[in-house]
Amino acid sequence: MSEHTDRVAVTVSEWPGDVESEEGVVVNWFVGEGSDVEESESLCEIQIEKVSLDVYAPASGVLSEIVREEDAEFERGDTLAWITPTEAEPEQ
Amino acid sequence: MAESKSTRELTMSRAMVSAIAHEMREDSEVFYMGEDVADYGGIFDSTQGLREEFGYDRVMDVPISETAYLGAAVGAAQVGMRPIAELMFVDFFGVAMDQIYNQMAKNTYMSGGNVSVPMVLTAAVGGTYNDAAQHSQTLYGTFAHVPGLKVVVPSTAYDAKGLMHNAIRDDDPVLYMFHKRLMGIGWMPAPEGPKTPVPETEYTIPFGSADVKRAGDDVTIVTLGLHVHRALEAAETLADEGMSAEVIDLRSLVPLDTDTIVESVEKTGSLVVVDEDYRSFGVTGEIVATVADESLGALESVERVAVPDVPIPYSRPLEDEVIPSTKDIVSAVQRTQ
Amino acid sequence: MPLVSEQTMEEMFENMVTARHYEERLQEEYLEGKQPAFDISAGPIPGELHLAAGHEAAAAGVVQHLRDDDVVTATHRPHHVAIAKGVDLERMTAEIFGRETGLGKGKGGHMHLFDPDVNFACSGIIAEGCPPAVGAGLAAKKRNTDSVAVSFLGEGAIDQGAFLESLNFAAVFDLPVVFVIEDNDWAISMPKERVTDVENGSKRADGFEMPGVRVDCDDAIEIAEVAGEAIGRARDRNGPTLMEVQVHRRMGHFMGDPETYRPEADQEAAADRDSIERLEADLRDAGVTDDRIEEIRTAAHDRVEEAIEWAKEQPQPEADAAHEDVFVNPMNGVTDSEPDFEAIGGDD
Repeated sequence: MSEHTDRVAVTVSEWPGDVESEEGVVVNWFVGEGSDVEESESLCEIQIEKVSLDVYAPASGVLSEIVREEDAEFERGDTLAWITPTEAEPEQ
Repeated sequence: MAESKSTRELTMSRAMVSAIAHEMREDSEVFYMGEDVADYGGIFDSTQGLREEFGYDRVMDVPISETAYLGAAVGAAQVGMRPIAELMFVDFFGVAMDQIYNQMAKNTYMSGGNVSVPMVLTAAVGGTYNDAAQHSQTLYGTFAHVPGLKVVVPSTAYDAKGLMHNAIRDDDPVLYMFHKRLMGIGWMPAPEGPKTPVPETEYTIPFGSADVKRAGDDVTIVTLGLHVHRALEAAETLADEGMSAEVIDLRSLVPLDTDTIVESVEKTGSLVVVDEDYRSFGVTGEIVATVADESLGALESVERVAVPDVPIPYSRPLEDEVIPSTKDIVSAVQRTQ
Repeated sequence: MPLVSEQTMEEMFENMVTARHYEERLQEEYLEGKQPAFDISAGPIPGELHLAAGHEAAAAGVVQHLRDDDVVTATHRPHHVAIAKGVDLERMTAEIFGRETGLGKGKGGHMHLFDPDVNFACSGIIAEGCPPAVGAGLAAKKRNTDSVAVSFLGEGAIDQGAFLESLNFAAVFDLPVVFVIEDNDWAISMPKERVTDVENGSKRADGFEMPGVRVDCDDAIEIAEVAGEAIGRARDRNGPTLMEVQVHRRMGHFMGDPETYRPEADQEAAADRDSIERLEADLRDAGVTDDRIEEIRTAAHDRVEEAIEWAKEQPQPEADAAHEDVFVNPMNGVTDSEPDFEAIGGDD
């Protein structure tokens, strides 16, 4: 999809099983654009129906772009943000 | 989970929990009890993740028996443990008022200082979401009124953490009143402001140190809790009109930082006190009287903005009428000029 | 069923389907404006909402023995009891929508419904309806009337001082009060076995020399039989009874409750055990026709729809009204007959 193939998409990796909705809302970002993040660090909190959950960094690096700001709605699978890894994966 | 960085921002609930977790790791005498604090993690997120780390023995769900468990906290504290007990809503204090008003607050004094009660009572406070008369009060004045309780009211994540560390370490009973609207709960969106950067390391904020959240020259707005953020918003509006408002966040009612308030009023000459509690016999009257006592001549004009003396009504237009809004604060400031 | 007539069964059925449909429709209305994320303060019904789907049989079975002059106090989960007691459905709905013509002019909300015409009240604080019910029983005894009082509470409330003190007070003065515990197994997230050692709430009666009975399933007919005996005892001046009824929480504790603490199997079990289906089968066994059952159902649904429609057309209260109704008398009291008399001091 993106031309930024060196960046890693932040998505909701595990959609909760007990909700029907395919949409969520970003509730809180804990780091801002440009921040260093570490793999598995909590980046933001989202809410799907009444269930809140944290979204963790899929890689260490810099949170280069927040795609969905606080209060923004998103659909299952949407990219919430991009991380530029510290050691960018080598391109093919 | 990875360690957080200093650039990280936390919600107020997470900042509170991080201080509690730290103290629980450091001191095995610290434990938390309340209704729905274990598996649920606190109805207002006050204990999220604590049961997972510390187990049911130290993060205890208790029967709906406020007299028993608040009294038990007093008793455990008197023999040297450091309990944190939670009132799910401060409004439920009535069920256990004797334990709070006559035991927790007075045992130290009645023992001539030979007994101490090193406990924290946490309580969710406040309205703005139409929960009506039995679930929306702040009751700041009720608890600040009785001698023997230290009363703490954070308005930001940074303050929440430092005040909680101090509350748990203090050898006296501390009432820690957190406003539901500030916690950063998904289903009760917070205003701009309470989510702040929070140092990873532990730190204590001393009680009785009010924080000047915004400096100004024309008027002093003294407030606490949710209304710190409404006052800051009002100050923005007033700045557009050329008025410079200083916003003082009390952070604790007992002890009260009289010096910071008086110093500010001596600079501005105008005092506006904003409170989400009832108007009469409460915080607004107390602050005005304190300034009058200390520096009557400095007072050129005074306004009080508080809930009129009615229970908090349910319906949206009615609740909006009685809980002070940003606009109410702006109008009150304008009346002083 | 010698004790419960076919007519009573139909009345209970009507109450129960009304209450169930009411809660389901309120849930829909409540969630409107709270999507996709749940925001408690948004939408046409703001604030907390505690729905009673799965509790209907307890209210229908007990309250059908009561008259308008009998007093009922209910809990933070009050709608099914209010419906059974005959609370004005339109004005109750208007109250829940926060409208000017609501039972409390929009001041009370769904946990604080008062309808003095049928002597119904409820409170949002756990077990706090018990003492006022005892007070109503005390008044009946003092006035020598044969009215009774019924206090509903949840099983989470049996550990609360107000409940235990009320049991003792009612017992020692032989008051015409029936305490009805609606046991739905959950005090928000706390299962009852984690917060009390008694096997069931009716055992609490033992310590107060009071009869304690439990109905193990939410069978409206059995509840009605047991309640008939308890209320009869109260009306005949033979003292209070503690009664417990097993019910089921088909929805969250409140509408914002994610119920992540609750095992899925428990939720499914609650959904499977349906007192309404059970009573419907009993009605058929008693010879009630499908048409008649459908007629009751349709009428109940229509009544609920009409109440909701009416409520939504009602005006919002004027903001100034917030300042009224703190007292019924003038602030200075009722007397203007202070004599010209000086007890002490004064210059005039």
